[in-house]
This record gives sequence, structure tokens and C-alpha cells, in this order.
Amino acid sequence: MSARIEPGRTDPRRPWRRSMRGWWHRNPYYLRYLAMEATSILIALYALILLLGLWRLTEGEAAWAAWLAMLKSPVSLALHAILLPVFAFHSYSWFRIMPKTLPAIEWRGKRLKQTTITALGIAAAVAVNLALLLLLAGVQP
Amino acid sequence: MPDTARSIELEILRYLPESGHEPWYQVYEVPFEDDWSVLQGLQFIKDDLDSTLSFRWSCRMAICGSCGLMIDGVPRLGCRTFLRNYYPRRVRITALQHFPIERDLVIVADDFIDKLKRAKPWLIPKQARALADGEYLQSPAELAHYRQFSTCINCLLCYAACPQYGLDAEFAGPGILALLHRYNADSRDGGREQRMDLGHSDAGFWGCTAVAYCSEVCPKEVDPANAINQNKMGSAIDYLLRFVRPRGSGE
Repeated sequence: MSARIEPGRTDPRRPWRRSMRGWWHRNPYYLRYLAMEATSILIALYALILLLGLWRLTEGEAAWAAWLAMLKSPVSLALHAILLPVFAFHSYSWFRIMPKTLPAIEWRGKRLKQTTITALGIAAAVAVNLALLLLLAGVQP
Repeated sequence: MPDTARSIELEILRYLPESGHEPWYQVYEVPFEDDWSVLQGLQFIKDDLDSTLSFRWSCRMAICGSCGLMIDGVPRLGCRTFLRNYYPRRVRITALQHFPIERDLVIVADDFIDKLKRAKPWLIPKQARALADGEYLQSPAELAHYRQFSTCINCLLCYAACPQYGLDAEFAGPGILALLHRYNADSRDGGREQRMDLGHSDAGFWGCTAVAYCSEVCPKEVDPANAINQNKMGSAIDYLLRFVRPRGSGE
């Protein structure tokens, strides 16, 4: 905290300004918000790993196979075990915020609840991921 | 004096500018009844224990928006928060966060008032009408389009909830931007262009990082986070269109 008292001031008003230091641990809501923001760093990191794979693919079959082998290394598997829940939390946090970004949606004359919009988003994400997994399982030799 | 055997400790952040002291916490033991609000607890202190305590209040029924306080760190209206919900714990009460303290629980709201004018929170009619033309008609559906955002009572709880407002001196904040949206969304209004200088700026929608705690604490379910963030898509499209729109098109 710090006072904003100017020297020689005669005005009896002396508004007291409070510091923002450590604001993020004043409320669990802020911690959850920062967790949402922080997980995006790991999302960006994973996007780089995928881009690296794309680049290795252009380098030929050997390079591509080496990248695939790298993904199957114990360090990589451990990283994926950490990243999976991080991605799940990040996805959930954005679907939770999604209704805030949309104008009111009407369905049969009634306004869709924000929790319904969030649930629909999560359901769509789960369905797309399942479809992708099934597709990949079908493609496997 | 209340007819009760129960009492609760209120720990209040005091600040008396003329004393030259920094703010300090003072604890009062307040006897209370089941239906007493935090505001009534403060009024008991003022009337019976310590007349030097300052706080704002007026209607005591969640309409005037005067008695916003941090109650155990959460922005709440003193008049609709009950002491019984905290008993037997001690309750900590401070002035609304992110505003300078004028005195005790009274904040300086000058910054909010100055920024409020920039949003032009009044109807700017699409077309001027003569009195003889009658009233501006609006359908229930058109009313529903903005009604939720029109119930703001300017209590500033959303400002006390918004860390961006505390960190960024330029940010107009949740309440003002919700009001800006309220008038833009009104079918009778034609002032959108005039308001969007603020809306599209960093002080407007883009100053919001979607913490969304403002909507949690709003006592009137205005949902400022929704008012702000539903404008970001339109604002982004508007920004990108500048690059493809012919020069001198006048838009």
C-alpha cells in the first residue's frame, strides 16, 4: 500500500491507493483464470512439436520415422501423460468461457442456458476426438 | 439494541485521511439478529459503538448500488449479505478493491464517472421524431435483446472483481462496457458509431481478458463478461475489413 500525499497539499482529501501486488492469489477465481492462461503456453509448445513433425516429413522417410520414434521415447510418453490432462483442462476452461463470447441463442422460443452451451461444446469436442481415434484405428495396418 | 444473545466480530479496514496514519484493521463486536444484513451491522457500529466509521448506503434493498463492499474478500452489496451466513467466524470488511479509499469503507469513484461519459450511456435516436409522431415503438423481442444489460445499478462490484481494471488504468471496465453494449443493442438507438471508438480500443472490449469474475459477482445478473466478449468477434471483423474496404468509401 502507498499513500498519494503530495507535499504542501492543503486539500484534506488523501485518497489511499492499494497495490495490485499478489492480486492473483486473493481469490480462487483468479487462480483458475491464471491456470487457464498458463496452460496455453504448453499448448503452444505442443503446436511446435507438431510443426516439427511436419517439417521432418518434408525431409524424407528417415527423418519422419526418427520423429515418430522420438514421440515413442519414455521422456515423450511421460510428457504426453502430463499434457493430456493439461489439454483437457484448457479445453474445458475455454468451453466454460464460450457462452460469454456469444450473443443470446434462442431455441424453440427459449434462451439457451450458458451451461447448456458449455455442455454442447464439450460434447462436440469429445465426439470429434472419438471419431478421429476410430478413424486412426481403422487406418492402422 | 437487537434482541439476541448472538454477536459477531466485524474486522473493518479503517482509514482516516486527516489522521496521517496508514489504513488499519479495527474489530467490533456486533450483536445481531437472524435477518440482519452486513449493512445493518455497520449501522449498529455507527449508531452505538463508533460514530467515526464511514460507509455509503441509501436504499438497503439492492437498488441504489451504494453499499458495495469487500466482504471476506468477495465484492458484495452490504444490504443483501447476511451476517448469519458468516457466524460464528469473524468477517473482514474493506472498501471495494481496485478503487482508492476516500475514507474507511468509502471509495473514490471519480475514475468510473469520468469513463462512464465516454460510453455515451443514453439513447441517441436513429431518426429525430416530432412529438406528434408519437413514441418509439419496440417489440418484446427487441426489448429482450438488451433488457438484461439495462438492469445495472452502477454498484461497481464488477470493477472490484476485475483485476484488469486494477492493473490497467486506461480500461473502461465491465460495467461501462456492458452499458455501451446495452445502448448499441437497443433497436431505437443509432449511436453505435459514436460509441465504438471506445468499444474497439484497448480501453474497450480488448482490454478485457475474459476473467469473467465480474459476471459472478453482479447482483443484478447483467453478465458484463457476456456483453463485452460477444462484441470481440464483430470488433475483429470490423478491424480486418479496414484492409479490404476501398479507400474513401466513407465507412
